[in-house]
Amino acid sequence: MIHAAIFLLSLAGFALLLLAMGRHQQDWLRRKLPAGGSRALHLSGLLMLALAFVIAGAGLGWGYGAVAWFGWMTAAAALIVAANLNRDRILRRVRP
Amino acid sequence: MKETLRQSMAWLHTWAGLLPGWLLFVIFLFGTTAFFQIEIDGWMHPELKRAPVTGQALDRADALFRARASGAESWSVSLPSGRSNEALVLSWTPSGGGWEDRAEVKLDPATGREVAVRESAGGFFLYRMHFDLHYLPVIWARYLVCIAALAMLVAILSGIVTHKKIFADFFMLRFGKGQRSWLDAHNVTAVLALPFHLMITYTGLVALLFTLMPWGANASFGSMEAFYEKAFPPAPTIASTRASPPSAPRQLPLREIIARAEANWAGQRASYISIEQPGTPDMVAGIWPGQEMLGGGRQPVYLNAATGDMLGTGDKPGAARATQRVMIDLHAGRFSGAMLRWLYFLSGAAGTIMVASGLVLWTVKRRAKLPDPSRPHVGFRLVERLNIGVIAGSFAGIAVYFLANRLLPVGLPHRADWEIHSLFIAWGAIFTWSIARPVKRAWVEALAACAVLYALVPMVNALTTQRGLVPSLIAGDWIFAGFDLAMLATAAACGFTAWKVATRKPKTAPRRKTRELEAMAA
Repeated sequence: MIHAAIFLLSLAGFALLLLAMGRHQQDWLRRKLPAGGSRALHLSGLLMLALAFVIAGAGLGWGYGAVAWFGWMTAAAALIVAANLNRDRILRRVRP
Repeated sequence: MKETLRQSMAWLHTWAGLLPGWLLFVIFLFGTTAFFQIEIDGWMHPELKRAPVTGQALDRADALFRARASGAESWSVSLPSGRSNEALVLSWTPSGGGWEDRAEVKLDPATGREVAVRESAGGFFLYRMHFDLHYLPVIWARYLVCIAALAMLVAILSGIVTHKKIFADFFMLRFGKGQRSWLDAHNVTAVLALPFHLMITYTGLVALLFTLMPWGANASFGSMEAFYEKAFPPAPTIASTRASPPSAPRQLPLREIIARAEANWAGQRASYISIEQPGTPDMVAGIWPGQEMLGGGRQPVYLNAATGDMLGTGDKPGAARATQRVMIDLHAGRFSGAMLRWLYFLSGAAGTIMVASGLVLWTVKRRAKLPDPSRPHVGFRLVERLNIGVIAGSFAGIAVYFLANRLLPVGLPHRADWEIHSLFIAWGAIFTWSIARPVKRAWVEALAACAVLYALVPMVNALTTQRGLVPSLIAGDWIFAGFDLAMLATAAACGFTAWKVATRKPKTAPRRKTRELEAMAA
């Protein structure tokens, strides 16, 4: 349960970080967001990752939790990269 | 200035990564499998059932020691970790015998009945290969591994400086773009698991600390022997005041010894018991905890094996040793639960791909710049051939190691050695074959061979044991089912890569044209 929470928060965190980057906004949203919007996305992404760390530490112990946090962040980032790689396929399904 | 620093770091990254690259690939590959060494060990010993140790089994162990090992200098018991199907292993050195005369008996942990188990080095070999290599003296191997690990640390740090765009390109992975896609694959596997790579390389060096830098311990303790004497003090002895024992005292049952030792630990379980001078009034039992906690204590508990009195708990480690233990725990990941173990494994796989893609990238980057691409120079061809021979060869070798475990006759003398020889014979065969073939064909064929060999593992398992994939799934045996599924996934990944390489159309034509134009303009 704790593991799932760490993973999902990391996933959300990296998704937000992806959308905070100009080049990916163009790809995913077909427009660039204003600087304020990007910064808000960036900060909330980092906040999600920090929250994942707190949950990992509180739920699994700080030593074990820290190791698990790094592991899940890697897994979550890898999934976001995979989603970005298959962007066209995903977008076609979402808005045909 | 900044530009020259980056350039010099790029140079360092290229060569610190390339020269030990093939050894690093082997270290990463075998180390990654070693996270699951106990599970692999279970699969390689299909005669064993997974079960917790029962009191009945421990009582039978007591009886077996008394019947068959009386007069031995010491008895030892290895308890299953609970992660896989493991045996309760009893061993003893007969009186007057040396370490090589050691007798060993494997018991079913549930019933205590003796089980005949095939001779196999199992997952332990994969773990040892990761830092001791094979066919060469251990000390040489460790020096080689140390040098490779140092180079790895240099390559990681210089790589971070070189690819300063890693954060801008954080999510970028493009396939089918030639050099660009290799660079992306290298960057993605490197950056996403960067905390793991830094941690595993640094803690790996810490694990080999005294091979690399014995001088600190030498200076403080006089010699390494004196240091080890202090770090691992011998078991306390019972100050027996009687000139001769009145009668041979009776030893406490093993289950009682375990219970008394575990009462000293907060939640840690006994993993190894050694009884010195059993059957005499001086008998001492040492009980060691498992490594189930990050930085958890590894001090044994010593008991008088006749009375159960506490004799000592070993010295508490100082700050330096405690730090080293945490780092070694982080490296080996033995403390991790199933979830975290998979994350370790996936990060390790990313590291293996990082090294492999880095090696391939070296050739991809240079191929376009060759003066005559159809006749590359010797260094280029050497790297190209070593890449195929080491990457595909060692990968195929592991599949053959698993196949040999099932196919070699159970009675074969030196069977465990032959399993290991099979790995290297297959590796050598793939290497030789790949040298004789054109580069692209060699890649496709070697990867296809990997796919076939890994796909064969679950099939041969189903034909030679009662524990094929389907029965394991029905029985809910996740060690066996998980292993077979992992083999199938690996086979699919190899097959996919082989297919990708085979169908790729090289896009060198336009580049050559522009270079011709440039040459004409010049």
